[in-house]
Amino acid sequence: MYLKTLHLRQFRNYREQQVDFLAPKTILVGDNAQGKSNLLEAVELLATLRSHRAMRDRELVLDGETAGQIVATLQRETGITDLGITLRNTGRRTVALNSETLRRQLDFLGVMNAVQFSSLDLELVRGGPGQRRNWIDTLLTQLEPIYAYILQQYNTVLRQRNALLRQQNASSSGAEPQIDLAELAVWDSQLAAIGARVIRRRARVLDRLAPLAQSWHQAISNHTELLDVKYAPNVPLEQDDSAVVQQAFLDKLGQRAIAEQHQGTTLVGPHRDEIEFIINQTPARQYGSQGQQRTLVLSIKLAELKLIELVIGEPPLLLLDDVLAELDLNRQNKLLETIQDRFQTLITTTHLGAFDTQWLKSSQILTVESGHIKF
Amino acid sequence: MEAKQQVGLCSVCFHLSADPVCEICRSPSRDPDTVCVVADSRDVIALEKTREYKGKYHVLGGLISPMDGIGPDQLHISPLVRRISQQKIQEVILAISPSVEGDTTTLYVGQLLKPFTKVTRIAFGLPMGGDLEYADEVTLARALEGRRELE
Repeated sequence: MYLKTLHLRQFRNYREQQVDFLAPKTILVGDNAQGKSNLLEAVELLATLRSHRAMRDRELVLDGETAGQIVATLQRETGITDLGITLRNTGRRTVALNSETLRRQLDFLGVMNAVQFSSLDLELVRGGPGQRRNWIDTLLTQLEPIYAYILQQYNTVLRQRNALLRQQNASSSGAEPQIDLAELAVWDSQLAAIGARVIRRRARVLDRLAPLAQSWHQAISNHTELLDVKYAPNVPLEQDDSAVVQQAFLDKLGQRAIAEQHQGTTLVGPHRDEIEFIINQTPARQYGSQGQQRTLVLSIKLAELKLIELVIGEPPLLLLDDVLAELDLNRQNKLLETIQDRFQTLITTTHLGAFDTQWLKSSQILTVESGHIKF
Repeated sequence: MEAKQQVGLCSVCFHLSADPVCEICRSPSRDPDTVCVVADSRDVIALEKTREYKGKYHVLGGLISPMDGIGPDQLHISPLVRRISQQKIQEVILAISPSVEGDTTTLYVGQLLKPFTKVTRIAFGLPMGGDLEYADEVTLARALEGRRELE
């Protein structure tokens, strides 16, 4: 797929900016805090409706304005699609395809696909399990848009169940009547039914991603390292069968019932899943060297790229936010070899010096300066 | 203001009513053996517009939602159980929207009523005039779940 144009209106530090992408590779060059990453963030939003940097839509709207807009034209094998997102300070979003406003945001997902790779991605290895769950959820949303709906349902059940446990927690300390076990049982079965769908989809995508990441890691490390990506679900997954997973879920809820009542929160479920990265049988999180961790993140990103292409049938966009400079020549070359002209790539950098001259010649170079882009 | 003062709830089904017992509950022409359970009075009005349903109703007055402090005790669930267990009801139809809270309420109420009578729930699926190929995945999955044998 190919992103032909992007128009930003009152988005981050852009007031009104049209960008036409004329080559498969675009290099955005500029000093820090000029708006390079903001542009990539706009593309990320088009692909996932998520931003890895903004907590609230308010941050995405130009200061002093109440609403901002991202509009894009995307060329796919099936034809040309216009995408639009309107962001508001109030947090209410509107999404449109071919100028038609969609009733559900879910229908917007999957139209455009992108893999983002930024220096923040090292957090994937070093950070807490929440980072890794967030990463796999974002990938799943692109591969199977319905997953966004399943995850949202799961989170609703989780919040409701937590509220119920808290109420009971509060009332059991006083002389108030005890738990409505029948109501809790219904929430349990809802949590297990929807939770099992989350678990099975995560397991399935990791099954497909792991061998891809492993072979990339082997290639980049010149066959000195073996990477294992392992799903460590909170509810044991012995068999990829809905009824089996649900039963295991309910069994574990039963085991933790007293602890849950005591703490007033749900302790069992995919919201406590972990994904383990293991290099040569050693957890990369604690023991990996800087270099290993960088190789790992690069391997994972290349695997994502490949997997999306396999599933969607078209190569996704690649967004490289300030990462080339951090990679050594060997890793840079591996990355550039893979991309070639197959993946449309948007790259941000502060210096053009780090790039191969061949590369510079075949790329469109845009200069970014305080919310303006010069051609 | 006047309307607000006059309108209360029917003591049998909890639908909005100016009288102690509402018109639908009093009507001799309606099937007393079937009860349709809905969340809200607006749902009764929507179902009545179809003129397809000839049974009686029961309005719960909301959905189970611990986040909003609404448990079974805040809804008209125990009067429903009493009503169903004491009268000879043939069938209870649960017509509650398929949200997380709606499904939870359906499951909860269904379990309480099953010992006394046949309990069914309405189907969710494709809208009329909707083309299969344009239906979204969520709706299609629901429609598949609720499939039935060809008669």
